[in-house]
Amino acid sequence: MSLIEMQNIKKDYHLGETVVHALQGIDLEIYTGEFVAIWGPSGSGKTTLLNLIGAIDEPTEGNLVIAGTDVHSLSDNRKSELRNETIGYVFQGFNLVPVLSALENVMLPLQIKGTPSKEAKEKALYRLQEVGLTEFIHHRPAKMSGGQQQRVAIARALVNDPSLVIADEPTANLDSETARMIISIMRDLNEKDTITFIFSTHDQRLLDRVKRLVRLEDGRIIDGGNPLTGTDVSHGTHNVSVLNSSHSEREGEVLTAWPVEGATPLRGQTQAPLTNGGQS
Amino acid sequence: MIKWMRLALRNILRNKRRSLVTLLAIAVGFAAISLFRGYTSNMYSGLKTMAIRGEGLGHLTIFKAGWLEKGKLDPEKYMFSKSEIEKISKLVTDESGVVLATPQINLSGIVSNGTVSTIFIAQGVVPRDDRTIKGDWAAFRPIKGEGLNEEKSYGVEMSQDLAGFLNLTSDKDGVVMAPTLGGQMNALDIHVSGVYDTGSDATNDKYMRLSFNFAQSLLDTEKTDRIVVLLEDTEKTGKMRKLLLAKLTSAGIACEIKTWNELSLFYSKARGMIDMMFLFIFCIVLVIVVMSTVNTMGMAVLERTREIGTLRALGLKRRGISMLFAMEGGLLGLLGSLIGAALHVCVWAVIRAIKPTYTPPGVSTPVPLTVDFVLQALVLLSICLVILSLIAAIIPAKRAARQNIVNALGHT
Repeated sequence: MSLIEMQNIKKDYHLGETVVHALQGIDLEIYTGEFVAIWGPSGSGKTTLLNLIGAIDEPTEGNLVIAGTDVHSLSDNRKSELRNETIGYVFQGFNLVPVLSALENVMLPLQIKGTPSKEAKEKALYRLQEVGLTEFIHHRPAKMSGGQQQRVAIARALVNDPSLVIADEPTANLDSETARMIISIMRDLNEKDTITFIFSTHDQRLLDRVKRLVRLEDGRIIDGGNPLTGTDVSHGTHNVSVLNSSHSEREGEVLTAWPVEGATPLRGQTQAPLTNGGQS
Repeated sequence: MIKWMRLALRNILRNKRRSLVTLLAIAVGFAAISLFRGYTSNMYSGLKTMAIRGEGLGHLTIFKAGWLEKGKLDPEKYMFSKSEIEKISKLVTDESGVVLATPQINLSGIVSNGTVSTIFIAQGVVPRDDRTIKGDWAAFRPIKGEGLNEEKSYGVEMSQDLAGFLNLTSDKDGVVMAPTLGGQMNALDIHVSGVYDTGSDATNDKYMRLSFNFAQSLLDTEKTDRIVVLLEDTEKTGKMRKLLLAKLTSAGIACEIKTWNELSLFYSKARGMIDMMFLFIFCIVLVIVVMSTVNTMGMAVLERTREIGTLRALGLKRRGISMLFAMEGGLLGLLGSLIGAALHVCVWAVIRAIKPTYTPPGVSTPVPLTVDFVLQALVLLSICLVILSLIAAIIPAKRAARQNIVNALGHT
C-alpha cells in the first residue's frame, strides 16, 4: 500500500535574487513497511525531500499525498496533527530537549497528543526498552553519549506508533560502529512493526543495510552511478528503483520508483528500471 | 497542563543567571510598588482620621440649602434655627449607625491680648460632642493646659503660634472680637484654657477652638451654620448621606449634605497628588517588568529556536508554542511576585522595628513612617504582574510560533 505519493514535486529557495532549484520534479512512491535510504552528495536535495515528506515544508509545485491525505490542502494545525500521529522524526543532531530526561523526551509526542501521563509513560518505557535504554530513562541528554541520544530520539520517533519514521542523516554525528548499530535498530523495528523508515545518508557504508535506495543528484532522482545498478544490497549490489523525470523523458517512458521486495508499483507501466538486476 | 508547567519551570532554570536578574527586577519592582502602596494606605488612613476626627468634620455635615453658595452674603437666612437644630438632631440620631449629630459654627475675627491684636479663625463646637468626635485621635494632638469644657464656656483652645505671637499661655486672658450676624462688632473676654499644635504651619498661627455657646454669643445668634454627623462606620458614609437627605427632605428640611472628603480639601488634594505619584512609580516599574520579561523571553526564543522547530516537527501546534513561552513568562511573573512579597515582608518588618520618622512639608511635628500590610494589594499586584509578564512573553512567543519549521531546525 502506498504511503507516500509525490508527483512532479519542485522546491525552489530564494537567496536574495538567486533562485535555487532544490528539487526539480520528483515523482516518488513509497510503500508501507519499506526501509528506504535517500542517498546522494551534499546539496543534492536529500534534506529538502525529507522535509517535504515529513510535512514540515511546502513544495513550490507538485502534489504530495501522505497516508492518503493531500498535504497541500491541510491547515497548519492539521499538518501538526498529521506529523504528531503519522510521522516520527529522527534528527541528525538528535534534537532532544535538554531539560527533559530520556523518558520525558520520549513521552513528549504523546503529551503533545494529549495522552494521559500514565499511558504515555508506559509506552515510552516500552520504546526505551526496545532501543536498550532502560537503565538510562532518568538521564538527561547531556549525560548520555551520542549513540544513546540517538536511540532516545528513535524511541521518541516511534512512541506514537507512526506509519512513517523520517531520519535525516541519523548517523552523521556518530562513529561508524554506533552508526551501524543505529541502522540495525531501525531495520529491526522496521521488520518487527512494519513501520516505514526513510532516512537520508551520504555514508556509503550503511547502504548495504537498506532494502531500497533512492539516489538524488542536483534535485533529481537518478538511476546513474553505482547505486543505480540496482543490485540487491544484501548481496553486495544495490536494490534500487527510481524515477527521474528528465531521465524518463530521455527514455521516452514513464518510470516509477517501487520497492524491490515483491512490491507492485502504483504508477508506471514498466519495470524497465529493474532490468538492472534489482531482483537478483 | 502540569507537565507543561514543569517544562516551563525547567526552561526558566535553564539560564539561571538571566532568569535571576529578571526575577530580581520583577521582585524589586513588586516590593517597591507594594511598599509604596502600604505607605500610601497608611497615609490615606491617617489623613482620613485627621479630617474626620482631627478637623472635627465628622462623616457628614448638614448645611441649609444654599449655605455653601450664598451663606457668606446672608448668613442669617441660611443658618439653621434652634428648633431646626433640635429637629434635625433627633431625626438623624434616630437612625442606627449614627453616633451623634452636633451643631458647629465656623467664624473669624480679631483676637487681642490687650496690647496686640491679630486675626483668628475659629470653630465653635459642643465640647462633649467634640471629645466624642476626637476619640483616641486626641492623643496625637495633646493640649498644653485644659481642653474645652461645658462649665467654662469662655475658655478657648488656641493654636501654639497664635498663642506665642500674643504671648498668651494657658490660664491667661484675652479678648476676641467678631461681627455679629446683624453686622455689629462684638467683643468678649476669653480665657486660654489650652494651647495646641494644629500640625500644620499654615494654621498654627490663626486657629482657635471655642465652645459652641460662646461662639453663638460672639455672633449674637441662636442659630448654627452646620450640623456634623458622626457615624459608626466610615464605609457607610455615602449610603447614609442618601438616606439622611431623603429623610430630612421628606421632613420638610431643605438641606444639603457633604461628606468628610468633599469638605476636606487637604485630603482630596493630598490624595490626588499621592495617587499621581503612585501611578508614576507603578508605570516605571511596569515598564521595567515588561522590558525585562520581553528581553528574557526574546533571548530564550532565540536560543531555543532549534528546540521550537523540533517541537513543531513533533506535532506541537503554533498555539502550543505560544502557550509554552507565555507560561514561562507568567511563571517568571509569579516567582518574581513571590520573591517581591518576601522582600516586602522583610522591609515592612524592619520599618516596624526601627520606627523611622520624618517631617513632611507644612507639618510642624515629625510623623512616623508607617507602612500598612495590605494583603489585598499584594494579591492584586501579584495577579497584575503575572498577567503583565504573560502578556510581555506573548510577543516573543508569537514570534517563536510563527517560525518556519525548517529554518528553525537548521538554526544553530
